[in-house]
Amino acid sequence: MTGAARTASRAGLVSCGICELLLRPADKAAPGYCPRCGAELAKRRHHSIQYTWALVIAAAICYIPANLLPVMTTNTLGSSDSDTILGGVVFLYTSGSWPLALVVLIASVMVPLGKLVALTYLLITVQRGLPGSSRDRTRLYRMVGLIGRWSMLDVFVDTFTVALIQLQPLMSVQPAPGVVFFAAVVVLTMLAAESFDPRLIWDAETRREKRYG
Amino acid sequence: MDEGNDRGNLPQAHVEPRKGLHISVVWIIPILAAVIAVGIAAQRIMSEGPTITIVFKSAGGVEAGKTVVKYKDVVIGQVKTVQLTADFSRVEVTVKVAKSAAGLIVEDAKFWVVEPRVSLGGISGLGTLLSGNYIGFEAGKSHKKQRRFIGLETPPMITTDQPGRQFALKAADLGSLGIGSPIYYHRLKAGEVIAYNLEDDGKSVMIKIFINEPYDKYVIPETRFWNASGLDVSVGASGMQVRTQSVVSLLAGGLAFDTPPFAPKTDPAPADAIFTLYSDQATAMKKPESIAAHYVLYFNESLRGLSVGAPVTLLGLPTGEVTEVGVDFDPKTLKIRGRVEIVSFAERMTARLGKDQTSAGKALMQSKDQRERLMRLLVEERGLRAQLKSGSLITGQLYVAFDYFPDAPKAKINWNSERVELPVMPSTVHDLEGKLTGIITKLDKLPYEEIGEDLRKSLASLDQMLKDADKALNHIDGELMPALKATLDKLHDAVSSADRVLKSTDATIVGKDAPVQQELHDALKEIAGAARSLRLLTDYLERHPEALIRGKGGE
Repeated sequence: MTGAARTASRAGLVSCGICELLLRPADKAAPGYCPRCGAELAKRRHHSIQYTWALVIAAAICYIPANLLPVMTTNTLGSSDSDTILGGVVFLYTSGSWPLALVVLIASVMVPLGKLVALTYLLITVQRGLPGSSRDRTRLYRMVGLIGRWSMLDVFVDTFTVALIQLQPLMSVQPAPGVVFFAAVVVLTMLAAESFDPRLIWDAETRREKRYG
Repeated sequence: MDEGNDRGNLPQAHVEPRKGLHISVVWIIPILAAVIAVGIAAQRIMSEGPTITIVFKSAGGVEAGKTVVKYKDVVIGQVKTVQLTADFSRVEVTVKVAKSAAGLIVEDAKFWVVEPRVSLGGISGLGTLLSGNYIGFEAGKSHKKQRRFIGLETPPMITTDQPGRQFALKAADLGSLGIGSPIYYHRLKAGEVIAYNLEDDGKSVMIKIFINEPYDKYVIPETRFWNASGLDVSVGASGMQVRTQSVVSLLAGGLAFDTPPFAPKTDPAPADAIFTLYSDQATAMKKPESIAAHYVLYFNESLRGLSVGAPVTLLGLPTGEVTEVGVDFDPKTLKIRGRVEIVSFAERMTARLGKDQTSAGKALMQSKDQRERLMRLLVEERGLRAQLKSGSLITGQLYVAFDYFPDAPKAKINWNSERVELPVMPSTVHDLEGKLTGIITKLDKLPYEEIGEDLRKSLASLDQMLKDADKALNHIDGELMPALKATLDKLHDAVSSADRVLKSTDATIVGKDAPVQQELHDALKEIAGAARSLRLLTDYLERHPEALIRGKGGE
């Protein structure tokens, strides 16, 4: 991987984050603006690690109430039922439709958690420069970006159900606070994934090569 | 590669003084998230109500996580677990109570399982058919908190916040009453029976009732309660009476109450006051009679049809009633006779006095001596006697009537005996009955068959007789009449010849006082009389031809 070392950053160059134009920075500390598209240039995203950490921690905090609080309340003739996501999974499983239960479990519980774990792993490895395959880490990052939006499915289902099932006084469905936290988890993890600069993975690799190689 | 050349061209880095740790604003996001999450958690913990345990004998339809506890139809808690007690005899239900209702969970709060109930008084808990059973709750009045309760088996009939008051009725028996039986006031539903239990002595029943507002203010210490259960058909000497309060009470039994008009106006009775339950309205609303005189009557006749409570009348107006019907046995003479004990209320008579006499009458009745004096006068001087009379020939109910019998044998009243005996008169009812019976017996004894036979024979002979008469008449027509005609013709001839003789002799016998003329005159008179008789005879025969055979019948 000899070619790996020759990066724009190493070469003292900077590439525009928007139009990918390779430029010589105006100054090392402040690279200036792209002459083609006018975007502000940066060698790496500003405070990428710090931003990502903040968003990941916020998402992790929101993840707890998202799973503990009910996501919707069903009122049927005098009795009301509050359902959490995990409660729904259990219900689906006990009522026999385990494939559906699996889908909900993966999409709503494991994916957000997986994203949080993945981002935390990436952040730690980048900061600490721990050994490992940078390629695999990059693939992990791509996966996080890919599946991120699918977690919103739960929120959509919830809102649709609430909007459609309003058969007063027989039955009505009300949104519960859990869904807000769940949406917050999804949005925050997406933003965290966005704010993470994957080039840092390779910077870390370079640093490591320098150190040991 | 020629890295060395490249490196040579690059500027040398210089060490810059380390700037202060840069903290981005983005950290506001996790802090905000943490604050909100902690806030919600705190709110949750703060709003957490107490968890209580209710023990039921059986928990029909109670499900963990589903069944709720409702107070005034508002959910105040939810069942968390349903499990058996350690000795498996009961069901233990843990309920998470809402924080807002935590203040209601005091030691005298009541819990029961609400399920659909169908009773004669109505249907309750229909809502549970759709929503499932729930646990009903009634707040207590205590302030002492409690976390473990024993659930009621049946819902309490009234809730503590229901306006109204509770009373108790003492009755000999429960009748057709049940929990929920309605109580009427002027035929408006004013309350209901909420509980009943046998008294400790096992002789009477205590019925707990609840009278709703505003009817409870009409319950004063003088108020009377009576059983308005079902159809009350009473057959007494005064006829048949059918009473009912409502169709519901007809089916489910019921009570009614009212305050008699003579009762003094007082404040409403205190809650839990005990009243007597009367068997019917008439008994309940009866004016209490303070001046009661007890007498005993001995009858030497059947007392069948005389029942306790039968009226005692004076000149046809009710003045008292029969209190006991029995027999009297004389151990010396071994005579058994009917014994009727009566009570007479002087006030009933004074109440019927004219307005101007009421006060005088009352004054007279107030003194015992005066009353005794009056009674002695009436009985010993005027001949007031008791007599059994039939109130209704159909039912045969008897009553005791006091009337004047001036011709009755003299009697004395012994005021010193324990029970004052009043003289009686044999009943005309029985006389009449006896006579009627005698007549009927005689009628019964008549030989109807023989009479019929005789009658038939008589009719046959009569028929024969009439036939004979017919024959005789024909005979008269055919044989006697021509002969009669000839006789008459001959008579006519005789008269004519006599006339001629007279005419011829007229000339010779002129003197008015001539004996011949006189004799002739007499003879003629005789003949005229004979002719008249003959005419009468023929007339009569024409009308009554049978006279020829049977003679002239007396008219």
